[in-house]
Amino acid sequence: MISTERLIVHGIDLEVLRGGDGDPIVLLHGMCSLTAASRFPSLLAAHGAVVAPSCPGFGASPRPKDFDTIQDLVHLQRAILDAVPGERITLVGLSFGGWLAAEVAAQRHNRLSRLVLVDAVGIKISDRETADILDVFNRSPAEVHRAAWHDPDRFAPDFDAMEDAEIMRHARDWEALCLYAWHPYMYNPQLPRWLSRIEVPTLVVWGDSDGIVSPDYGRAFARLIPGSRFETIAGCGHHPEIERPEELAALIGSFVGG
Amino acid sequence: MQLWFHNENTYPFVPQKILDEADSVRGSLPSRLCDPKIAADLFHECMDESLLCDDLGINIVSIEHHAGINSLYGASPIVLGALARQTRNVRILSQGTLITIRKDPVRVAEEYATADVMLRGRLDIGFVKSGDSEMASGNANPIGNLERFWEAIDLITKALRNQDGPFRWEGKHFAHRHINLWPRPYQQPHPPMWAATGDLDTSRELGRRGMVNSVVLRGIDGTKRAWAAYREARAEAGLPEPALDRFAYCGFVYVGDTDEEGVSVGSKLLWFLNTSLKQASQYSKFLPGRMPAEMAPQVYRTKPRPGEARAARPADGLIGMTAEQAIQRQIMFAGNPETVAKQIMAAYETLGGFGHLIFIGRSGFLTHEEAEKSIRLLAKEVLPRLREATGG
Repeated sequence: MISTERLIVHGIDLEVLRGGDGDPIVLLHGMCSLTAASRFPSLLAAHGAVVAPSCPGFGASPRPKDFDTIQDLVHLQRAILDAVPGERITLVGLSFGGWLAAEVAAQRHNRLSRLVLVDAVGIKISDRETADILDVFNRSPAEVHRAAWHDPDRFAPDFDAMEDAEIMRHARDWEALCLYAWHPYMYNPQLPRWLSRIEVPTLVVWGDSDGIVSPDYGRAFARLIPGSRFETIAGCGHHPEIERPEELAALIGSFVGG
Repeated sequence: MQLWFHNENTYPFVPQKILDEADSVRGSLPSRLCDPKIAADLFHECMDESLLCDDLGINIVSIEHHAGINSLYGASPIVLGALARQTRNVRILSQGTLITIRKDPVRVAEEYATADVMLRGRLDIGFVKSGDSEMASGNANPIGNLERFWEAIDLITKALRNQDGPFRWEGKHFAHRHINLWPRPYQQPHPPMWAATGDLDTSRELGRRGMVNSVVLRGIDGTKRAWAAYREARAEAGLPEPALDRFAYCGFVYVGDTDEEGVSVGSKLLWFLNTSLKQASQYSKFLPGRMPAEMAPQVYRTKPRPGEARAARPADGLIGMTAEQAIQRQIMFAGNPETVAKQIMAAYETLGGFGHLIFIGRSGFLTHEEAEKSIRLLAKEVLPRLREATGG
């Protein structure tokens, strides 16, 4: 159902997951890249032609020299939209990918028709002494683990059970995330000003027990996007695509079909 | 051979129970655990130890580390400034301002130029990459650390050399529209430059640049590999063989009247390894980029698979060492003057010689009086033996 392919965009060689037919759904991964074995992309492929690129440095996408900023990633996502056929593109961004998706939508794209943000990061809403986004690089792995999952014992990655290649992939993802998002940590101070430029129907979805970015943060994010709809998924942390993939895919499916 | 006194100004006075319970003794221990009155005493004792070195012809290293019991020298340029005014004779090596966590290398160059002028040319500049918990306390991205390191060195070097009015720098990590140091450094074109590393690629680059390669607590094997890389890179680049003054070995040293005293008091120095290295995993093994991704399986698994080695940074392997092990691994030289001279010369011979020995002479609960006793014996009883054996 889902295949792993290569996509070259603006001379940049990307690993990309593909599957499904119909209007394109561009899916941007979160703090860790997706693989063909991930359940969510195949569920989403029931609702459209899924294209899920791994950002440079993540997964099996090499990072070109001096490609190292959020701005590079936003330009790249726009170039990916240009390269995707079809008139009505849905852009889905998970967590870190939600930040990129929001940036792209605020800049507008002529074939973008819908936006879905899932437990997204990317903005700052609280005062200067209150972090909105748990610092995954500065807190103990145990705390990050508890915050990220509703049911960590069932869903969190078990490194002891993983093969070498999967663990190396995880480490590369973590390095890439750190490179792009270290400072300011996981947000663009300018982005809230521009979110009101988003002109496409937008669905904002949040795991109701997300401890990385709270549902209240999600509500604030949604309020900044005109006409957006906010939904929570019960019994779910920062990764609905892993803890509740069926529900997330169904929500997106009805949003795309509606 | 030149001797260099290295003292990190450690703060060992936090109750052991608190240290045992903390996941990290660097980066995150609350500063209410540091009594500023005790800290004041420590700063003055350490300064006095440096002044004793100045009287006895032992050079001084001025170091920098942040936010932990391992060192109170966070504001390193201030300590360097005090040393610049108070010493009269020996050279001071600032090794150094952690340039990968300072936002403005031009300001670092300005501090170094000023220190060199105050010292009337007695400054050596040593660069340190930093890492681990200092990425958090220094608010510095661990990814790209090495790139920043070299760009900062290039910019500092150019700023120190420049005498022709303002120049501009638009690099990848640093941009500065107007660089024009007053005063320029006392030494021309700039003070001698060192860097502390055991990383082979970094040593290679030091070799090509002809900078001094100090290797801190890597023992004989790690030091040998670094210096071989240094020499190899020079040979590959068609550059002349480096003199021994391009190499600095660093270990713990304690000299007592007897071997027993040397070892028993010297073993207190190992507090540095056994107590002050403890860091939370987010600052160490899980810090992005600390290890190549290929090593990740060994880092992430809680239990190694059969036949799998454990990945570790060099410092990780030092924790929990006894005095005997440290002496055997030649990262500590301890005993009476004759024994210490022999131990140092054994390392010297094994390594093919070195021009500098940096000795960690105080750490943990080793007292000011004990430190000064060893410094005196080292200067009066050991250094002449080393100079005789090495011919200078």
